[in-house]
Amino acid sequence: MIRSRWVLIAYVIYLVVPLYWLMSMAIRSNADIVGDFALLPNSPTLANFAEIISNPVWYEAFGNSLAYVVINTVISLAVAIPAAYAFSRYRFLGDKQLFFWLLTNRMAPPAVFLLPFFQLYSAIGLFDTPLAVALAHCLFTVPLSVWILEGFFSAVPRELDELAKIDGHSFPYFFFRIFLPINRGAIGVTLFFCFMFSWVELLLARTLSGAASKPIVVVMTRTVSASGMDWGVLAAAGVLTVLPGVLVVWFVRNHLVKGFALGRVS
Amino acid sequence: MRSLKPRDNRAWFGVLPVVLIVAFSAVIPLMTVVNYSVQDILDFNTRFFVGFEWYRETLNDPRFLSAFVRQVVFSGTILLIEIPLGIAVAKGIPRNSKLTPFILILLALPLLIPWNVVATIWQIFARPDIGLLGVGINALGIPYNYATDPTHAWITIVAMDVWHWTSLVALLAFAGLTAIPRPFYQAAEIDGANRWQIFRLIELPRLRGVLIIAILLRLMDSFMIYTEPFVLTGGGPGNATTFLSQYLTTMAVGQFDLGPAAAFSVIYFLFILLFCWLFYSSVVRNDDS
Amino acid sequence: MAGIRLDKLSFRYPGADTNTLEDLQLDIANGEAHALLGASGAGKTTLLNLLSGILSPTGGRILFDSEDVSALAGRIRNVAQVFQFPVLYESLSVFENLAFPLQTRRASAARIAERVDYVSAELGIAALHKRKPGTLTLSEKQLVAVGKALTRPDTSLVLLDEPLTAVEPRKKWRLRQALLKAQSDLGVTMIYVTHDQTEALTFAERVSVLTADGILQTGTPEEIYQSPAHEFVGHFVGSPGMNFVPASALGVAHGERIGFRPEWALIDAQGPIAGSIKRIRMQSTENGVPMGLITLDTRFGEIAVRSMANLDVGADIALRVNRYVVFAGKTRVGESALA
Repeated sequence: MIRSRWVLIAYVIYLVVPLYWLMSMAIRSNADIVGDFALLPNSPTLANFAEIISNPVWYEAFGNSLAYVVINTVISLAVAIPAAYAFSRYRFLGDKQLFFWLLTNRMAPPAVFLLPFFQLYSAIGLFDTPLAVALAHCLFTVPLSVWILEGFFSAVPRELDELAKIDGHSFPYFFFRIFLPINRGAIGVTLFFCFMFSWVELLLARTLSGAASKPIVVVMTRTVSASGMDWGVLAAAGVLTVLPGVLVVWFVRNHLVKGFALGRVS
Repeated sequence: MRSLKPRDNRAWFGVLPVVLIVAFSAVIPLMTVVNYSVQDILDFNTRFFVGFEWYRETLNDPRFLSAFVRQVVFSGTILLIEIPLGIAVAKGIPRNSKLTPFILILLALPLLIPWNVVATIWQIFARPDIGLLGVGINALGIPYNYATDPTHAWITIVAMDVWHWTSLVALLAFAGLTAIPRPFYQAAEIDGANRWQIFRLIELPRLRGVLIIAILLRLMDSFMIYTEPFVLTGGGPGNATTFLSQYLTTMAVGQFDLGPAAAFSVIYFLFILLFCWLFYSSVVRNDDS
Repeated sequence: MAGIRLDKLSFRYPGADTNTLEDLQLDIANGEAHALLGASGAGKTTLLNLLSGILSPTGGRILFDSEDVSALAGRIRNVAQVFQFPVLYESLSVFENLAFPLQTRRASAARIAERVDYVSAELGIAALHKRKPGTLTLSEKQLVAVGKALTRPDTSLVLLDEPLTAVEPRKKWRLRQALLKAQSDLGVTMIYVTHDQTEALTFAERVSVLTADGILQTGTPEEIYQSPAHEFVGHFVGSPGMNFVPASALGVAHGERIGFRPEWALIDAQGPIAGSIKRIRMQSTENGVPMGLITLDTRFGEIAVRSMANLDVGADIALRVNRYVVFAGKTRVGESALA
């Protein structure tokens, strides 16, 4: 136990130091960064953040990213909840095969789908819209959501459904007023995992968005290649992309542990 | 429990939306890929059926094979580091301390940072001119530069992946550990078991489920790694850190070799399925004996 | 094995305002099968954790054979424990599970085999040796867990924490028989903690009734049932528990209240306790006569009596009490002679 405690401490330091360096870079001017090496910023400045907030390329990119993340999360939950309920409550023709087929989609490398996605969404006129990225991310978030929710739903005894029926509640009343509120932790965790995938993914987001819907992750990679050396702004943008993650993890903190076991720890 | 579920085919109405949306975003593209993989496409109006020619070519392509070997070595390396390290970290997390939620949030943080930002963080951290790590190592007299030395590039990418993903294993393992009822520890204490025996006889068997999930997720995700090496090293120096996804992307988008890229895609997907299946079935077979 | 003594044992959880256990006094003989019977919230688990060494007393002492073990860690006290659900090492075979507590103490292979075989024969689990716990039924697993608690010959005390809770009802009886036989053959000191009076009264040589106010009575199952020392014991033990009426109702001069069990009363038109039948629950047939539990509505509240059940709900009857216990200030101050 004592030895594991030291492993944890060492690992936390390992986690924090690069993050510290990012934040420390974000409040330095470029002259300061490329000048003499220093552990602490010489003259802390918020100029990099001001640059991002005032430059439409940056803040529109933030908006674009949030748009497809939100659309993706809403779609994923909307389709995954009824499916997970069906899987957890009933046996039906081909249920096992269907469940397995859904999971294999999680194993497909995004790179495999690049080209067909590009053609598909161009053909139906969705290319360069947040909806295209959101739908493409569904390929990965929907199977994962079904899997997580099925684990949680199966842990809720079926007697609950029957009790509601005996009490004379209609199915929609039971489902929306009883069943879903009980599982709000599970839904929070699923939201976390959808967010975790959609917010952090680059390859599909880059391929399916053109000039109009350029997401933040793409703007960041372009900054590297174009101006090359604007490290301060890059670091500041990095700090800003970390913030939504902090917010989401704060909201699900109480369900985090159970969620990470995907509801399958008895 | 599961066998008690009533049989009702109307449940299909519940799964129908999922089937439609996944069919739309998986089946159609996958069929396109398979279709391309057996054709030579000069432009979209001129194509020839070539059978398994592209498959044969891909499997004999030395660049594919070396990317494949690199990929297997990379996935193996990070699994060997991240799984034991994740378990050790999980064992170190206090169970009921006021600090516990903060530690968990901190651990979850790298999982929520966009992958290219992860690479950017490591770029800023490891560059020999402005990075704390890069400058630090060079100050020790080691001429470290991940952009020019293949070994350094490898170590940096592995270190970055460990930084990025060990938390996932640790959080899964912690969830598994907290689910072990206290009497198991009390009984072990009474039996006079030492720490190693407690780990091997109580914790490890009860972590089995979450560890299978952890290994599967890390196996498939590391096999798909693209963004982090793309941003950090661009696959270099040379091709030292070019993994399968990057090679495929270059082929499909950069060179527009649709047929070979599609054949590559199919092989790639099948390999991941094969690895996951091999791992899973070997675990399940162990169960039966 | 050891005799156990609790000497003014007290415990208060950190931050609590009152003691969970206060000044407990109890003597358990070497080789005795003792049951701790109590409702939930009585402090059973706390006492168990104090005995096994997970908690340390905040007052008083715990003595094993007159040696003060209060401050000793669990593994030094040589206390073994069987839990509510079977706790086994799932990756080891049954034999390896049974041998494990001996192996960690570096016993020789021959000694281990001898001891494991002996205990297995006692519990009838020798045939399971090669199997993995995952393939056993719950009651078989719990038997193995009991075996694991018994293999070490130097065990001072075996604690059983509601060991039959998880076992299928049909198997409970068989498991209890196996436990009893092993206990008497091996001469082990056992403390059996339960909220189930049937388990306590059928298992133990002596029973202690524990409540939040401390140990109300320690005695043989017979004593606990026939002459409860406290109104709570009379009420808690027995199904249903004792009936209580004011002492004046039976014309008893000393004491405040009279307690009597349902089978200590008879239907007698001249009896002093009158009421109307509220409900009848059939229980058995004796010599062709249906016997049942009859609940009366009386001016003292509901009174239960075991009697012939050839009566109708609503009928007015009266009871005569053949045998009773007298209480004053909740504790026993006397009783009638045995009828």
